[in-house]
Amino acid sequence: MSLHSGIPDAIAADVRHGERLEWWTLLWIGSVVVVMALVMGASQAMKSAVIEDVLSLIPAIVFLLSVHWERKRANNRFPFGYRRANSLAFLVAATALLAVGGFLVYESVTTLVRQEHPTVGGITLFGHTLWLGWLMIAALVYSIIPPLILGRIKQPVAKRINDKVLHTDALMQKADWQTGLAAVAGITGIGLGWWWADASAALFIALSIIKDAVGALRQAVAELLDGTPRALDSNAIAEDAERLIAVFKARFGEVDVRLRETGRYIAAEVDCAPPAVIPSVTELMGDNAWRLASLSFRLQ
Amino acid sequence: MRYRFALSFAALLLAACDSLPRDAAGTTERIERTHAMRVTVLPGTPDAQPALALVGAYARDHGAHLRLMAIHGEHAHKALEDGEVDALIGHFAKASPWQADIALSKPVARGEPDDKEHPVLRIARRNGENALILATDQLVAEGPR
Repeated sequence: MSLHSGIPDAIAADVRHGERLEWWTLLWIGSVVVVMALVMGASQAMKSAVIEDVLSLIPAIVFLLSVHWERKRANNRFPFGYRRANSLAFLVAATALLAVGGFLVYESVTTLVRQEHPTVGGITLFGHTLWLGWLMIAALVYSIIPPLILGRIKQPVAKRINDKVLHTDALMQKADWQTGLAAVAGITGIGLGWWWADASAALFIALSIIKDAVGALRQAVAELLDGTPRALDSNAIAEDAERLIAVFKARFGEVDVRLRETGRYIAAEVDCAPPAVIPSVTELMGDNAWRLASLSFRLQ
Repeated sequence: MRYRFALSFAALLLAACDSLPRDAAGTTERIERTHAMRVTVLPGTPDAQPALALVGAYARDHGAHLRLMAIHGEHAHKALEDGEVDALIGHFAKASPWQADIALSKPVARGEPDDKEHPVLRIARRNGENALILATDQLVAEGPR
């Protein structure tokens, strides 16, 4: 690892774990897309679920790409390395989450306004014609399990490596299993003759997805605009950033301290003359020493 | 609380297994109540007999008889969408422009043609009437009785 590139040893194993989880995500969600496509028939609700699943692969893909770029060494053309690829990936992942929520709202509202009565007919398998809704429910139950498990595993890893892309992907997995559950309720509703059930359930879930996406988007924009580092799961200032500011002020008095985040790393600027002894990163950051990537003292 | 909800939902689902699906607009119940199934044969369908036999069998299974209604051209599709008739019999392609507005059965008394644009004898049902759609799909799959 150099000053502006590479992944610190302290989190290298967790980052690799995150990568493995994302490869599993691509594999499992890819299989879900295939299964759903096989049974979707003419159901608009199932088509929406398949499109939502395809979109949900975006955060996993951009996480893998951003980690690949993060490992690349700084060079003459990119002297600060490629660590900000993570910030860009975060923006893409948050936008994908918003697109999923927006798409679901559009589909649900148009279905409700047009009062479309979804048709789920029969399918003939091995000489027996059964209601396609049963196969759809089976496929949807299958689609719920991988994101439910993977999303739960990703959250603590995202926290340890302070990766907002991985965290947004865990939110996407939450969106996946919740929309899957809503679609099960929706198909059951269609079976009971409640044409509005599917769209209403999807609309309810879509609003929660949009709330998560807007929160993530605000964080992503703040990061790209060199805002003070934000928490992983909200737009509040990150706890370790607040602690770092407090440490600088305790050591150097009421000086101006500016922190910004490049991907998962913090860069700090302190408006005072460089001290005779520069404090170590462990003194400044404690256990999360790897988070502080650069420290500058600036004379007024 | 969450587990109790999941168990109640599963119990509801199991109990409903036999009675699913139902019609969104209650066509099956109406056929049973009025003892009549309203059917329109589109003009230019000289080979409608096998499809008429299938819907006739469906009507008999529900204690009803067929009431043939003469409606022409585009009006027939609109009448089906509006629930004024219960089924249309005619020649439709798999990639029919009506496909999204009405529920088309598989071809009656023959296999699916390779050409999706080739119209063949089918039964069209009103969207959302899933009990009627499944029952007629089963009859089409079984073939003529």
